[in-house]
Amino acid sequence: MAKKTYDLLFKLLLIGDSGVGKTCLLFRFSDDAFNTTFISTIGIDFKIKTVELGGKKIKLQIWDTAGQERFHTITTSYYRGAMGIMLVYDITNAKTFDNISKWLRNIDEHANEDVEKMILGNKCDMEDKRQVSKERGDTIAREHAIPFLETSAKSNINVEKGFMDLAQAILNKTPGKDSGGHSGGVDVHKQEATKSKCC
Amino acid sequence: MAAHRAKLMRCEELLSKDKIPFKDLRELCFQGCPHESGIRAKCWKLLLNYLPLRPADWPDHLKKQRAAYMHFIDEIIIQPGTDRAGQGNSDVTFEDHPLNPNPESQWNTYFKDNDMLLQIDKDCRRLCPDLAFFQNATSYPCLELVTNETEIETLRKRVEYQVLKSETVQRNRSGITNMIARKRAKSMNAEYYTLSEGQEAHWEVVERILFIYGKLNPGQGYVQGMNEIIGPIYYTFASDPSKEGQENAEADTFYCFTNIMSDIRDNFIKSLDDSECGIGALMQRLMEILKKKDLALWVRLDQQEIKPQFFAFRWITLLLSQEFSLPDVQRIWDSLFSAEDRNEFLLLICCAMLILLRNDILNNDFSTNMKLVQVITKYRSPVHGDVIQLPYTEQLQQNPVIYFHLLSNRCELVYKFSYLRSKGFQIEH
Repeated sequence: MAKKTYDLLFKLLLIGDSGVGKTCLLFRFSDDAFNTTFISTIGIDFKIKTVELGGKKIKLQIWDTAGQERFHTITTSYYRGAMGIMLVYDITNAKTFDNISKWLRNIDEHANEDVEKMILGNKCDMEDKRQVSKERGDTIAREHAIPFLETSAKSNINVEKGFMDLAQAILNKTPGKDSGGHSGGVDVHKQEATKSKCC
Repeated sequence: MAAHRAKLMRCEELLSKDKIPFKDLRELCFQGCPHESGIRAKCWKLLLNYLPLRPADWPDHLKKQRAAYMHFIDEIIIQPGTDRAGQGNSDVTFEDHPLNPNPESQWNTYFKDNDMLLQIDKDCRRLCPDLAFFQNATSYPCLELVTNETEIETLRKRVEYQVLKSETVQRNRSGITNMIARKRAKSMNAEYYTLSEGQEAHWEVVERILFIYGKLNPGQGYVQGMNEIIGPIYYTFASDPSKEGQENAEADTFYCFTNIMSDIRDNFIKSLDDSECGIGALMQRLMEILKKKDLALWVRLDQQEIKPQFFAFRWITLLLSQEFSLPDVQRIWDSLFSAEDRNEFLLLICCAMLILLRNDILNNDFSTNMKLVQVITKYRSPVHGDVIQLPYTEQLQQNPVIYFHLLSNRCELVYKFSYLRSKGFQIEH
């Protein structure tokens, strides 16, 4: 425990239907790159990224899950430990949006009550193939009082912001977040990341 | 080289016998099948109980099996596709129509099948993306399905229709236009790109096999990961040097895949996860073996809460096919298919993979170790030079599991059955 390279550890989970781009979003965030040729995730994958938020070094432990129904027994066991859950759908595939409510029920059933959530409508660079309007995304997010963003892992739109907003929301309610920081406390209202870098 | 030639000769000799001695074949293939002259394809077909042991029986048997597979294609894809194409999209009968709530309804089945098909399509397109092979056109497409004149609703058309159909709906909402071009230039649809008419990519052949398998096994359907099991088999059969082998790679793959699945299907069934035959039990068994073989390592993983679900779930479900490059997977599968108890043997390899990482795991923190077990192939990355040095630890010497040499381009499983047994390793049954 002597050489601690971070102040806080946040566990995040990515869920959503198969093929919506969960792995691509994570790859964009952790490696700042895009790869069209990802193999399908089987079971659960894992990435680490350390970011700076409100003067704190935060280690994000991000779990990437397989989308297909079959893997739910494996993946739902990670809901419990997650502090933040990123729920992803694909704006070019209406079915993945329709399933949002199913995923939300899953969260209610398996995750901690106070888990922070965020909905991402991915692939927003493919406007010509859009099936789900941004308004529909806004509406469902408002109904459930969950922050919502449209993202593109390919064009690097809102990916960083999505993860950082989620981390910020967790930080905001972390007890003792003000202690140990430098220069007298953290501005909890500050919404953006000051800086982020990969570990 | 001499050893390889000797093995090749021994293999050819075995294969030319009137009745192939199965036990000898297994012991030989366990050390790696030669890939020359389609020997590996032949050996796998034998090991997977597809080919009978008497080569004289092969022609008849193959003819029958391949015809039966063609019959599946006809029944599952061609016939319904022809009916549908004849019917047109607007014709709806009184007995059965798209909104028929009856679960027996043909339309209901059709929609359910489409869900399965779209999932298969998604996964087959991203099968072995590092390899050009699956994107290339096969020299032996299914002629009934790819010729221009056919009116059949092929799988390709079904996927296209599903995707494009819903595209028109979204435009309706805007009120600007009700019609958008139903057929876009194919290049526009990068995500649903297919080769031109008359051609079929290898991944489309894999897609058809999986669709047929899913239809024939309705209780199981298609589960993600099956594509990764079928990939190396199809690749091996379709790269057989003989025309006969290539031409029939699809049918032969179907049967061999079905045979493997009969061994490992429980791993794909969610409701069995916590039963004694499901994947949960296998992962638990892996950790028990590890505990016996390398207690310190087991304790470390346990303390860091690195659960087998994080790595072994994928290793076991996919028979390691995502952990290594294709040639290495072929080599590992030579041994796997030859093993008397495939599940047990697979667990031994997994155990060996962990033990080979022991020095790192014992010294690293949770995150680093998670990355290690999740990206095991790092150990054979060419960055490390031609031959990757693996720790032949004292622990390993005292307690041999299976010694797993990973060279830059091929991997060698060095233990023989007899050696394993002499070291107290039980390979039962």
